[in-house]
Amino acid sequence: MSRVSPKVMAVRTVLTLALSGLALAAPASAAARVTVWFEQDGKPVAADRGGSTIEGAVRALLAGPSRAEQARGLRSAIPAGTPLRELTVQRRVVTVDLGARFAAGRSEDSLRARVGQLVRTLRSVPGVRAVRVLVEGGVPVGLFPGYDLRRLVSAAVEPVVRAPTARELRQTLVDLGFMASSGLSGADAAQVATAVLGFQKWAGLPRDGVLGPGTVSALELAARPQPARHAPGHRIEVQLGRQLALLIENDKVLRAVHISSGAFGKTPAGSFRVYRKERYSWSVPFKVWLPWASYFTGGVAFHEFGSVPTYAASHGCVRVNHYDAPLLYEFASQGTPVDVLYEGV
Amino acid sequence: MRRAFRALAGGFGVAAGVVTSAVAAAVLLVALGLPDQGRAGDTAARRVRAVPPPAELVVALSLGDPALQAGVVRDGHVILARGLEVEVARALARRLRIHQVRFVDVRPSSRLLAAGTRTWSVAIASVRPTRGAAAAADLSIPYLGTDQAIVPRRGLPRPHALADLRDRVVCAVRGSEGAKAIASTVRPSSRPLLAPATERLLALVQTGVCDAALVDATSVGRLLAGKGGRFGPIVARVEHGDGFVVAVTRDGPVALADVDRALRRLRADGTLHRLARAWLGIDPARLRPLR
Repeated sequence: MSRVSPKVMAVRTVLTLALSGLALAAPASAAARVTVWFEQDGKPVAADRGGSTIEGAVRALLAGPSRAEQARGLRSAIPAGTPLRELTVQRRVVTVDLGARFAAGRSEDSLRARVGQLVRTLRSVPGVRAVRVLVEGGVPVGLFPGYDLRRLVSAAVEPVVRAPTARELRQTLVDLGFMASSGLSGADAAQVATAVLGFQKWAGLPRDGVLGPGTVSALELAARPQPARHAPGHRIEVQLGRQLALLIENDKVLRAVHISSGAFGKTPAGSFRVYRKERYSWSVPFKVWLPWASYFTGGVAFHEFGSVPTYAASHGCVRVNHYDAPLLYEFASQGTPVDVLYEGV
Repeated sequence: MRRAFRALAGGFGVAAGVVTSAVAAAVLLVALGLPDQGRAGDTAARRVRAVPPPAELVVALSLGDPALQAGVVRDGHVILARGLEVEVARALARRLRIHQVRFVDVRPSSRLLAAGTRTWSVAIASVRPTRGAAAAADLSIPYLGTDQAIVPRRGLPRPHALADLRDRVVCAVRGSEGAKAIASTVRPSSRPLLAPATERLLALVQTGVCDAALVDATSVGRLLAGKGGRFGPIVARVEHGDGFVVAVTRDGPVALADVDRALRRLRADGTLHRLARAWLGIDPARLRPLR
């Protein structure tokens, strides 16, 4: 164990006292304003108050938003009338001891938010490093979700509700059956846009292929598409109204595929079976190669096509997008039932 | 004459002894309050009650779960205690006619049943009836089931037996009790899907990748709060585990039999059901077990 000379000890003591003094004096030397934090629509919002002390900031917080602020929609999660029992500052750590009202109620969001407001308010005071929260002189355990108040708190926990990331949205499209897992990385934006179009068609949303706010909200609540008809086994259902082809196995939709059928009702409705398959099929009347062609009635087939608009546009065939055409071709073996329905019209 | 006198004296002695015994018995009976209205059938019960309940029930908690037990720890004692297990403790004390309940926090929870001096009478802290726990304390009947609730996807036909789940895609969080229950009890024909986290698990059910998920019945109500309509109705469970029990200190002021009797009454009068609904959002005991 090293020994410390009295001189060094004296210097250390002076330095410690000076630093502690700085921490306490910091708010006083700043402009005579403090920032307190409230909430608006679940998001933290700052409000200025007159005053210059840490205690003043906490008292202003406990007093809640002014009438004018309330009229603007500011709210405090801290119950009105919560008393401040004690406040101490040591080594830039503020210890706040509040009355039992601070822990009143059972709403997890509210309990989390009130600690968040307190921590944000105190951390807004220059020099404050962390906060210790006490209630009735004791340490709250398990009362405030998201916070371990047995330890110092240096940052407010962000609200749990957060917007899904782009990756999560792509994962949802895969889970729902609108996209192959090859699209998860998002490297091919056109593949994602195609899947989004499929989902928008199913959900009855504007068909723009963009993950806008409306589409994201719908995705968060979406369930896997359901077939219009119930039958066992392996089959394909073409829903003309939605312009989607559903690949179904034992009543479960494995994939929902963005298609474009015949304009002006040229694709006939009815129950058919795949009777001919050609990896490349030459279209005699239109003089064009049709890749991944599976014929199910007369000259009407599923096939890949460069242009698959959001509406019925073909001469009678079912155009399948580039990403799903090989999959549909593999799925539609000889004899696979194909139900063409006016569902969703 | 002498013989006659001795016989008389002896007779008096016997008579005096009988009288003394009768008086003593009467005094004892009065002291016990037994002759009241001549209800001889209550005799045994009243003799048991002659041991008065303790003035205070000291309950060990291990705080941390907002729904089960939370509070403020001050000098080792818990104030502002709340949660399902806290309420179970209070209800138990009322049933045991103990007017005061004091909570102490034992941390970490592994210390709860460790050897050593105990300052508590009962522990109500998510104790499972393991062999180790049984060796350390008397264990009551369960007050809360820890089975696995079945969270079905929307549109899934309601399962009536485990066989209805065997051909379905059943999912759980990897390494969870739900995953163990799938392997040991459900035994689906296809490989189950194991999600890395609960959030992902619920997304898999919502999007229909999974037909059903197994989730701890004690937490399913809270997990699905505010997510109505995204899943099918939760009406069934897979039996797995024995539930949470009260640990009673041996030779303590509270007898295990009394605790068991009180818990049965709390179950019968609906108290445990009300508490489970209030704190967990669902009563695991009311879900139908699939077999």
